[in-house]
Amino acid sequence: MDINWLKVLGLIITPIIAFFVGVTYGGLVRNITARIQNRFGPPVYQNFWDIIKLYSKKTSIHHGWMQHLGPVFAITASITSLYFIPVLRDSVLFSNLSFSGDLIFLIYMMVFGSLGMAMGIGQTGNPNSAIGVSRGLSMMVGYEIPFVLALVSIMIQFHTTSLNDLLAVQSKFTDWIIFQSPIAFITGILAFLGMMGYKPFDVPIAPAELASGPVSEFGGKYLALMQTSRSIFTFAKLVLFTDIFLGGAGDFGTLVVKTFLLYMIPVLTGIVNPRFRTEQAIRFFWKWPTALGIIAILIVVW
Amino acid sequence: MLEKENKFSEQIQKTFHSAKIEIKRSKRISVQLRSDLIPPFLSYAKELLDFKHLSHMSCVDWLEDNELELVFILMNYDTSIQIIAKTRIERENAQFVSLKKFWPQLETYEREFHEMYGINFEGNDRLGEFILEDWNNKPPMLRDFDTRKYANETYYQRPGREDAQNVRETVSKHSGEEVPEFAKKYSIRNIDDE
Amino acid sequence: MVTPNINEKDKLRIREIVENFARKHSLWVLAYGTGCGAIEIPPTMTSRYDAERFGIRGSATPRQADVLLITGYLSTKTLKRVIRTYEQMQAPKYVIGFGSCTINGGMYWDSYNTINALDRYLPVDVYINGCMPRPEAVIQGFIKLQNIIAEGKGNGAEKYQENLEWYRENQKKIIHNWQMPDYNW
Repeated sequence: MDINWLKVLGLIITPIIAFFVGVTYGGLVRNITARIQNRFGPPVYQNFWDIIKLYSKKTSIHHGWMQHLGPVFAITASITSLYFIPVLRDSVLFSNLSFSGDLIFLIYMMVFGSLGMAMGIGQTGNPNSAIGVSRGLSMMVGYEIPFVLALVSIMIQFHTTSLNDLLAVQSKFTDWIIFQSPIAFITGILAFLGMMGYKPFDVPIAPAELASGPVSEFGGKYLALMQTSRSIFTFAKLVLFTDIFLGGAGDFGTLVVKTFLLYMIPVLTGIVNPRFRTEQAIRFFWKWPTALGIIAILIVVW
Repeated sequence: MLEKENKFSEQIQKTFHSAKIEIKRSKRISVQLRSDLIPPFLSYAKELLDFKHLSHMSCVDWLEDNELELVFILMNYDTSIQIIAKTRIERENAQFVSLKKFWPQLETYEREFHEMYGINFEGNDRLGEFILEDWNNKPPMLRDFDTRKYANETYYQRPGREDAQNVRETVSKHSGEEVPEFAKKYSIRNIDDE
Repeated sequence: MVTPNINEKDKLRIREIVENFARKHSLWVLAYGTGCGAIEIPPTMTSRYDAERFGIRGSATPRQADVLLITGYLSTKTLKRVIRTYEQMQAPKYVIGFGSCTINGGMYWDSYNTINALDRYLPVDVYINGCMPRPEAVIQGFIKLQNIIAEGKGNGAEKYQENLEWYRENQKKIIHNWQMPDYNW
């Protein structure tokens, strides 16, 4: 079996690039939030100092070996999801491991991280964490339904389940899927708001809710691993949506511009909104986004 | 001018003969009673005279007379008149009846007085440790509990600076005025300055 | 008694410099107001006297926090809980004493229920005086803490561990009903 060394190099570089871009986006978001609130925020590279500080804690407190495995599951799921998304369009270096069924595989893989974390959190024995985990998983049940409906309608429309085929369809600017199936785009964006974890859907992880919810017993290197995994996962989700709806990107400049513009939608919505409770969020997701998703499928089928 | 207050005080004097009533100013009446007349007086004022609002309950330590004084402040919503009902109970092994059926918030006040003054209220079964934790001394709000001596013995006091100046004397020198007599005893800092 | 080995000598000097630089630019403060001085914390953290420029952020649990702010007087009831919280934090950790009541008792120096000198019970790095200190004074106190960390002197956790008997003896004199494990990390 001959190994394409260029692909292996791409597999090593991609998480590093995702880490840097994701962490910088995190710092940019803090700065944008600060400017909207009429103050200066931290510098853009602030999240790097946070992660280095967390890695350099001298003692680490854990409650059992399962707690070690929790963040490891989360970062495994993030990097594996990243590997199956082609980052740049026609480049062998960055096309990673995409195969012909990868959309269905991605729908499963994105959920795997949270389930693994839930097992790790159950070991700590803190009741705050248990309630936070149950809230997070209930909200995931909420936003997964419009997400899957949007993807299914696109899969039926173009008769394919592979991301590379979807990229091949969007070869010109007017062929982007955002123009070909706008209702699926709206449904996907509404589900995207829930996936990113900004207000109004941040009940599980907000610091004011039950002492930070699931991560309340994680400190030091576990929290650093969680933040790294969250940054990489953010980048992976952004690139996924860019590939499906906005035609992918040929080089890194276009990729950064497109993902940043897409990222501003949940961020700017999140800065000016309060927080939903869990049942209000689930009710929101099961009303209009689901209805729009079903309309999108019906339009395609007839 | 004070006709409503006079009307109320006549009604109270007719019902409770041994009460000493004094109208302090407009909208404030003070009633001094024997200690066994407080429960009937409070229910009389609440139901018949419409003084439905309890503003406050307080306790005063009269060390020289060897008595504790309980003070209840009631208010009328229509006329905004306050009645201050006072009574004296004895200081050693102080006992009183719990009046929390009239106003439920009296339960908290009674727990505070049990802890701080040592009054036992019969009928209130939540007396016990309330604000202070593991306190096994005298009730600390009584006037013969020497707070300063207790604080100097139990807690470490940081010694002052070597070049510390007395604030009152420095300010009085600066402004050219005398320190008054009653203020001179507050300028001591530690027990060894006395 | 189990002691975690946090006294390893860092072999490389450059690693210490980088780590201290990261620690001083990202201080996470535990959101716990122990006394009346906590009313000066929200103005410091919000829009006018923005403390997030320096990387200072609030944190919800002691497992994730670096700095414990003792804002104001400590009664004996609170001292027991604060000691337990301090021992749940992860090293390196810093304590800032806020207000005059932590320095020498402040206006409650002769009270039957408040302690007077904080550094007999916890290792303190920086004192900020005032009653209450204004937000400008608070930020100056944080800058002083940053300078202490950059010089490599921010080792309150090691000091606490080495002199544990002395601290415990002082604490047990005040707190009679000692119901905590002998170490808590």
